[in-house]
Amino acid sequence: MGKSWLRDYIIKRLIYSVIIAWGILTVTFILVRVGPSSPADRYLANIAAGGHDVTQVVAAIEARYGVDKPIWVQYADYMGNLFQGNWGWSFSTSMPVIELIKGHWIYSFQLILLSSLFAAFLGILIGIYSAVKQYTKVDYAFTLSSFIGISIPNFWLGVMLILVFSVKLGLFKTYYDTTLPLFSLDNLKALVLPVMTLGTGMLAGYVRYTRSAMLDNLRKAFVTTARAKGLPERTVIGKHVFRNALLPLVTIIMFDLGSIVFGGAYLTEIIFGIPGLGQISFNAIFANDYPVVIAVTLIGTFIVLLVNLVTDITYTYLDPRIRYD
Amino acid sequence: MTERLKGITQKISRPLYSNARLINYYWQRTKRNKLAVFGLAFIIFLVLLAVVGPFFTLDPTLVNFEEKNLPPVGFAIEQSVYNIETDEFTTTKVSGTWKHPLGTDSKGRDMLAMLISGARVSLLVGLIATGIAIILGTIIGVLSAYLGGWADNALMRFTDVMMTFPFFLLLVLIVFIFGPSLAIIVLAIGLTGWTGTARLIRSEGLSLRTREFVTAAKAMGASDNRVVFRHLIPNVISLIIVIATLAIPGVILAEAALSFIGLGDPTVPSWGTILEAGQHSLNTAWWVAVEPGIMIFLTVLAFNFLGDGLRDAFDPKSNI
Amino acid sequence: MIMDNTILKVNNLKTYFFTRRGVVKAVDGVNFELRKGECLCLVGESGCGKTVTALSILGLIDSPPGRIVDGQISYNGLDLAQCSLKQLRQIRGSDISIVFQEAQSALNPVLTIGDQIVEQIRLHLPMEHSQARERAMTLLNEMGIPSVERVMSYYPHQLSGGMKQRALIAMSLSCDPKILIADEPTTAVDVTIKAQILNIFRELKAKRQMSLIFITHDLAVVAEIGDRAVIMYGGKDVETAPVSEIIGEPKHPYTSGLIECLPDLSKTTDRLASIPGTTPNPSEMPQGCAFHPRCPKAMAICSQQESTEIIISREHKVSCHLYR
Repeated sequence: MGKSWLRDYIIKRLIYSVIIAWGILTVTFILVRVGPSSPADRYLANIAAGGHDVTQVVAAIEARYGVDKPIWVQYADYMGNLFQGNWGWSFSTSMPVIELIKGHWIYSFQLILLSSLFAAFLGILIGIYSAVKQYTKVDYAFTLSSFIGISIPNFWLGVMLILVFSVKLGLFKTYYDTTLPLFSLDNLKALVLPVMTLGTGMLAGYVRYTRSAMLDNLRKAFVTTARAKGLPERTVIGKHVFRNALLPLVTIIMFDLGSIVFGGAYLTEIIFGIPGLGQISFNAIFANDYPVVIAVTLIGTFIVLLVNLVTDITYTYLDPRIRYD
Repeated sequence: MTERLKGITQKISRPLYSNARLINYYWQRTKRNKLAVFGLAFIIFLVLLAVVGPFFTLDPTLVNFEEKNLPPVGFAIEQSVYNIETDEFTTTKVSGTWKHPLGTDSKGRDMLAMLISGARVSLLVGLIATGIAIILGTIIGVLSAYLGGWADNALMRFTDVMMTFPFFLLLVLIVFIFGPSLAIIVLAIGLTGWTGTARLIRSEGLSLRTREFVTAAKAMGASDNRVVFRHLIPNVISLIIVIATLAIPGVILAEAALSFIGLGDPTVPSWGTILEAGQHSLNTAWWVAVEPGIMIFLTVLAFNFLGDGLRDAFDPKSNI
Repeated sequence: MIMDNTILKVNNLKTYFFTRRGVVKAVDGVNFELRKGECLCLVGESGCGKTVTALSILGLIDSPPGRIVDGQISYNGLDLAQCSLKQLRQIRGSDISIVFQEAQSALNPVLTIGDQIVEQIRLHLPMEHSQARERAMTLLNEMGIPSVERVMSYYPHQLSGGMKQRALIAMSLSCDPKILIADEPTTAVDVTIKAQILNIFRELKAKRQMSLIFITHDLAVVAEIGDRAVIMYGGKDVETAPVSEIIGEPKHPYTSGLIECLPDLSKTTDRLASIPGTTPNPSEMPQGCAFHPRCPKAMAICSQQESTEIIISREHKVSCHLYR
């Protein structure tokens, strides 16, 4: 019972991902080039103050940045640079963009990881319970709560949590100290509110998806068979039903990454001052530092691409029903 | 025989919006969901507020430092005022008044007026941006489903590319590049939010395509155009309604989030911008942060309730 | 009257479903007894309550809408309708086993065949994992499944229809149950497999002296494998008799109707016989006798009153006004 077709499928999927990656880079390039700004923008005030002829100086600057070259040359340069790891220079922080990313990605990762664990653990449990107790008051309460959870603007929740816990009650400090080790107690304490903020939105989603996946399976014939064998109910639900619900659940959660998680993390970092990629992108926006904003967008996108790829292959491998002969 | 066929296709293909009995049936089913009714009621209230409100409230842009940081009616807060002559802080208890029923912000602007202005922004952006996204998504979805072959492939690959971008990050990038004006924000959201719709419509279109009434229509000589417009599209209308109602909350949240991080239109007070200002004055004027958030929350909740209720009402398998 | 070799007795069983649209009386007064070593067939069209009866015996009714509202199910000194869930679980799968109709949906698609059988064995019997595996493979072999070692690691969808059904039966026999309930095991399979499966059941009866409750709507199957039959209609049992008498001397008009429906290849006809009308909706039962709207011999009293059970002979009972 070999899965040699799996190898072919992986190759196909990889090629497909490369095509999508190319599409992503191209779309980004088009967006930037179609945009109204030019690298000379931030110098305009200085140029005028210095009494120079604006058009000449602008032309010189643009020549230096290569913006006057034909569009396909620019495109080739762009792709080439990206692959070589030359992601541009961040003038607002005076370092190569790559260095900036390297210094900050870990904080985003930590935030997202902790929030995901919190949300997944709690969300799946509540979702299972809610599905098993369908139509009871408990189920209605949880369903209503998950509606509320997905409706609360996550940035407002963050501010409210700060208001209640920090300002009024003075319980948690609200700044993150990068000089301390990543998982130091102080930093973990500072992460409590951010994780609750980002986690709540994710939690509501987890509850809904788990509940729905469980409900899809609870009325199926094999569940009656499992009970008819004399199995205790917790085994029926926890082993038989849940395993069937697990696969589609994992897929949905993974694919949701781009919409909920990254947007939420961006905002959470800004509110709580966590020095992750969202924060540096935010800073870059107000310094008009293009390469950084572009880089963060691309990183987020490629992570989504990667996660989609891995999830797809993993799902195909794990689900015994799929075969691509 | 042809007469009977014509009759059948006519009955099936009469679009939802012209079939009164069908609309009533769906409305009855929706009504039974109390949450959905609440949602609809709130939305109607909000629309009325947005349309009529500005005539009855103060000017939201009126700055008045004399009246800054007033709490809402029924609340009181201690304010310290520095008296330059006596070099002392005098603490007075300030209460809310009916002149500013929801209080004022740090520049003395009336909260109620600003919230109503914010409501207009949110609803407008919500409706227009969603409209753009839905129309774009539907066109792409229907074309893809109907044309099939390489066109379908190409369109779907493009959709995949756009879907891979994290929605908010792409939005931020576009608004950053093109500037934070209301028009850009609406366009940006519309041009990035169509992917989900396209997928759903395409899959519905694919399943409809193989149904008998399409074959029947074609057997009677209907052209491609006619099949698409008079037969396929009306059948996806209920799906579109549900998608739209559930998409609006996401759009409203997106606009609020953009405003919150400073990428909103600076000339118009939106809930997001109010909230952003509010987070800096949590100690002195907590209501500035609380109120817009409540508004966003309730609006999004209302649309979610309504959308969920509509979806259940349109689904023949759900036992309402 | 309980005979000495009665192993299971169902007395006036009523299982209702309380839904938002009203009460569905799926089983409304069913009586029968199962004797040791016999094959009792529950016969009737779909919707007459056969499956619900079987599920009720093991307490497998979905409890929010459904409930056993009346009746006794006597087994081994216990009333299964009243006993605790813990006691029921001990009986399920080890004393009384049930095999469902459609093997593909009755087996868990994400667990291997081996996993599912071993799970049941280890639940009821004190065995090590390897012992349980041995036992499972022996059973699969008995059922005529080839390459049992490989099949143990297969998932349900990798087996053919007939294999799946055999695996399901093997699983239900894994703890040597005294009673096996088979819910329409031959309905969803094609004719060749049907014959094989009937063979299996015949052997089970002979070799293991098992008591079987065989649920079906197909009288031909009843004739082949049954010892006694209980004809059900509208949630009640309308006639009970040995199979030879059911087929040879049917008393209830419904039974006669069913027999006439069996196509006879020796005769040439224009149309196949069928019973006019349709089975009643369990939430809208006709007044009086449930069958009277379709009965060719209906009398005035039939639309007003249900018939009581009338004893024709020691082994033959009917519920029909014709025999008062």
